[in-house]
Amino acid sequence: MSLERRMLTRELKLIAARPGDIFKPMWFLMLVISMVPLALAPDSDLLSEIGSAMIWVATLLALLLNTEHLFQSDFSDGVLEQWLFLDRPLAWLVGLKLIAHWLFHVLPLILITPIAGIMLSVPTDVLLALLVTLVIATPALTCFSGLGAALTLGSSRSGILGVLVMMPLFVPVVILAAGVLIRAMDGSDTLPLLALLGAFSVVAATLVPIAVSAAIRLNIGGSN
Amino acid sequence: MGWRWFHQWGSPRWFYERAGRWQLVCGWLALTLLITGSFWGLALAPVDYQQGNSYRIIYLHVPVAFLAQALYAAMAVCAVVLFVWKMKLADVAMQSIAVMGFAFTALSLISGAVWGKPTWGTYWVWDARLTSMLILAFLYLGVIGLRAAIQDPDQAGKACGILVLVGVVNLPIIKYSVEWWNTLHQPASLKLTEKPAMPASMWVPLLINILGYYIAAAYLILGSMRAIVLERERRSAWVRELVSRA
Repeated sequence: MSLERRMLTRELKLIAARPGDIFKPMWFLMLVISMVPLALAPDSDLLSEIGSAMIWVATLLALLLNTEHLFQSDFSDGVLEQWLFLDRPLAWLVGLKLIAHWLFHVLPLILITPIAGIMLSVPTDVLLALLVTLVIATPALTCFSGLGAALTLGSSRSGILGVLVMMPLFVPVVILAAGVLIRAMDGSDTLPLLALLGAFSVVAATLVPIAVSAAIRLNIGGSN
Repeated sequence: MGWRWFHQWGSPRWFYERAGRWQLVCGWLALTLLITGSFWGLALAPVDYQQGNSYRIIYLHVPVAFLAQALYAAMAVCAVVLFVWKMKLADVAMQSIAVMGFAFTALSLISGAVWGKPTWGTYWVWDARLTSMLILAFLYLGVIGLRAAIQDPDQAGKACGILVLVGVVNLPIIKYSVEWWNTLHQPASLKLTEKPAMPASMWVPLLINILGYYIAAAYLILGSMRAIVLERERRSAWVRELVSRA
């Protein structure tokens, strides 16, 4: 079995050992969504207008909650140190870890957003656009929050610092995604913005793992 | 000769002594420029026909807003120097610039709000420039927070360097996306009134003040860099000698 396959299987085994880790962010997402009508009003016209934006923000927060400790257990049990001795570039291994995280932790989160959409009476075509933007945008978000997690690995008292540090970088993604949703609401063409969003994700997924691997090296090797 | 001018930047002691002299020059120069520019701008420059006297806040607001953005770029240059030449002084500079940058960003946001109340009728609008300034403030805070969270100064410096470099790549994307977002959401509801071309009696003092604030920022950054150098080198012989003499 190739190293890459073994890494993915290991991730799956880890999830099987602690399935609660997948459900907590989903649980959080549904709770946040349930708070929206309570805080606003149970008015379905109002909700359908802001619903998709609320779901986007809630998913973003749930994703951050999910990714905050992305490298923590691998760091403390020495797996990251072993990565340095493998005959693969560290950035590639980081990329694999991020892909696995996206597949097994972020994708389930996206898959339950239609339920949230129905709860907030988001129209079906907007819901579809919401799903597409989330699928396209979350790789970039996962990479950035992974960087936040890697940068704060060494400090025990960082708390949610990794999230705070990375959140300003989400601005372009959120804006583009909101643009897609607004256009989907008026029924105009969303493809150009989706292409831009996709471009952002591709660039982030290519370059951010390099920064993440630098951050990991920093936390393991000390000064080098 | 040759590379000597470059290598001497690696010596904290050399920097500490030189920076003291540069600081003196910068301090007096900034004071002169700022007094001239501010007096000219606040007392002598003509009143704006549209905004009255409230426009005079530009003699503070424009220079600090310029600096807020320029300092992030300066921080990125320091990060590159840190990674390429492993120069510790670049890390010291990054640490002081982050704090100054945040201070200037906050000052530009506050002075903008103070100007916005009489001019726009509100302290805050989600204008493109205001929004990207706010994001910039959060980026600076992130750099400061990250450094505070990591104990080892070398490690903290490198982590901040990575963050700053990622940030500087993103900054133009953030800026343009915010501008695009703004045109998407609010088509010219609260736009800055079309400014008439400023007469020289208005923009010359502004230019003097911009220069003055830049030099004042250099003065402040040199001062805080010297303090950080002293703190980091506190176990070395020359710092002990310096302290015992004082």
